[in-house]
Amino acid sequence: MVSRILIANRGEIALRILRACRTLGIEAVIAYSEADRASLPVLLADEAICIGPADARRSYLSAPAVISAAMVTGCDAIHPGYGFLSEDDAFAEAVRAHGLTFIGPSAPVLERFSSKEEVRRLLAAHGLPTIPGSGLLGDEAQALEEAGRVGYPVLVKPSAGGGGKGMRMVRSARELAAVLPICRSEARAAFGDDSLYLERWLEDNRHVEVQVAVDRFGHGVHLWERDCSIQRRHQKILEESPSPAMTQAGRRELAERAVKAVVAAGYENVGTLEFLVDGEGNAYFIEINCRIQVEHPVTEMLTGIDLVATQIRIAAGEPLGFIQEDVRQDGHAIEFRINAEDPAQEFRPGAGTIERLNIPGGPGVRFDSHAYSGYDVPPYYDSLLGKLIVWGQTREAAIARGKAALAELVVEGVITNVAIHRALLESEPFLAGRFTTNLLDRVGAAAFLAAAERA
Amino acid sequence: MPDQPHPGDRNAAQRVADHAGIARLADALVPALVVKLATANLGEVEIREGDWHIRVRRPAGAGPRRERPHRASLPIVAPPGASLPAPPVTDEAAADGPRQEPALSPTVGMFKPGLAPGTRVRAGDRIASVDLLGIALDVVAPIDGTVVEVYPQPGDGVEYGEEIALVEADPEPDANAAGADGAAEG
Repeated sequence: MVSRILIANRGEIALRILRACRTLGIEAVIAYSEADRASLPVLLADEAICIGPADARRSYLSAPAVISAAMVTGCDAIHPGYGFLSEDDAFAEAVRAHGLTFIGPSAPVLERFSSKEEVRRLLAAHGLPTIPGSGLLGDEAQALEEAGRVGYPVLVKPSAGGGGKGMRMVRSARELAAVLPICRSEARAAFGDDSLYLERWLEDNRHVEVQVAVDRFGHGVHLWERDCSIQRRHQKILEESPSPAMTQAGRRELAERAVKAVVAAGYENVGTLEFLVDGEGNAYFIEINCRIQVEHPVTEMLTGIDLVATQIRIAAGEPLGFIQEDVRQDGHAIEFRINAEDPAQEFRPGAGTIERLNIPGGPGVRFDSHAYSGYDVPPYYDSLLGKLIVWGQTREAAIARGKAALAELVVEGVITNVAIHRALLESEPFLAGRFTTNLLDRVGAAAFLAAAERA
Repeated sequence: MPDQPHPGDRNAAQRVADHAGIARLADALVPALVVKLATANLGEVEIREGDWHIRVRRPAGAGPRRERPHRASLPIVAPPGASLPAPPVTDEAAADGPRQEPALSPTVGMFKPGLAPGTRVRAGDRIASVDLLGIALDVVAPIDGTVVEVYPQPGDGVEYGEEIALVEADPEPDANAAGADGAAEG
């Protein structure tokens, strides 16, 4: 049973979890840092508690502060959102040890699935193909040796992480030696763990991920896939479902293999299996995200299933309550991540006051955001301001709604990446469904915007 | 630090290491030293680590600077766009009485009482503590003076930065003695 949840996160996901709690009739308390005192989830919450200063290491990443906040506010569960402590098995175990429910996989499951390097071996043993890669990297000499064995170009990835932080693609030993300390410090800052590993870099790949939900009783379903190929520096900026690059038979086969493998490997709760798909349509498993994801609304639009509510109910020990045949795959959905960053300036993150905000609306349009007119965007956290999600019966209909909604969206006072989304919806590779994960970086955002303006 | 080479002699890597070291000291060591200095009734504490040494000295009669001057216990629910109340300017607000400064909670946790109102304190003295999962963290006096009020009840949950107690400064020695005493009692 879960009756009162501490929401240990910020921004749009804190608000999303608050909404799920309200629809489930569960009380919610928002844990916030000093920098987020005037944020929308704090303002809308029935109850909120300040857990530390702006520095995330002393607030959102501080396990003692989060657990203490749950205890003194009388919560019986903690929802970690995404990022921060969401995939930290030591935190999940500490939450359990204090008699609280962790909204996510249990600590042993997290431990088994959160090391990317180990989980690749585990799921490979359960039938998922993987990309050649290394074990955890030691010193520089050992890293260079591993890279030589895997074969350049290689991708340096933090074992604890997600969201593209601390990831770099390198083409030579010299480049690798140069980025190792940077990746380590980024990984340490973002995840509190600086272990890295290598993966062979596939040129011109697509990023396709399968959403699964598995209850404590081993009943698992997939909720189809999301295509997240539109990225800049390994950070997703637009996601859609179904993937325009796959056939219906291919999608079904990948999703079914994915859920079969994780159920067999003992996974529980909602999760996402990420795959790289090469030019020939071969899918390689790369990692599993043991948490709710930024792009989960794409799946919610297609299936009608509330993933955050599902996550809470599974953590509370309830059975899933539906079977694979109940999972719809209705129409097409696209999510645009609205970030406070300047695409013309190498996506430099910005902060400042949102002087005016107009939120788009109409049929098939959803806007998940913690922004409001007058909101001061703090400089301490990631640049995500919100997500615009559109749905249509077909991909063309969804794109048309996306264009109309992006035209309605007004954010003044803070520079956003909206221009890149408008340009994407006019670009031939996107319209043809041929976008690959490296396209935006290769062309360069400035050139991409300029080309869209000429068209 | 006389045993340090001139900053200009350091190469880029050393400077990066220096900055990381300073950041680490500022983040972890200095607050601990300040607490140590305050609770141990010492005049000076010095720590050596590798190339570095750090010395924290308590100036006679002066309290440590307050790190965060704002008031934490703001009303939490306000309509979006509403401006939050401005932090009170304690020094000016107390212009016609002795200076008062709040002692703030160092963390989120359970309040444990310590000194009673009326107790005289020096800046850095422990007034009460906040229990963070079994670890008692000190609520310290921001200035020399007298504890005039303690807000939470024993066992109350308190948040980070919450005002725990109010400390009133001693009257200025050159001020009108009778007037200042009267204000302190009122």
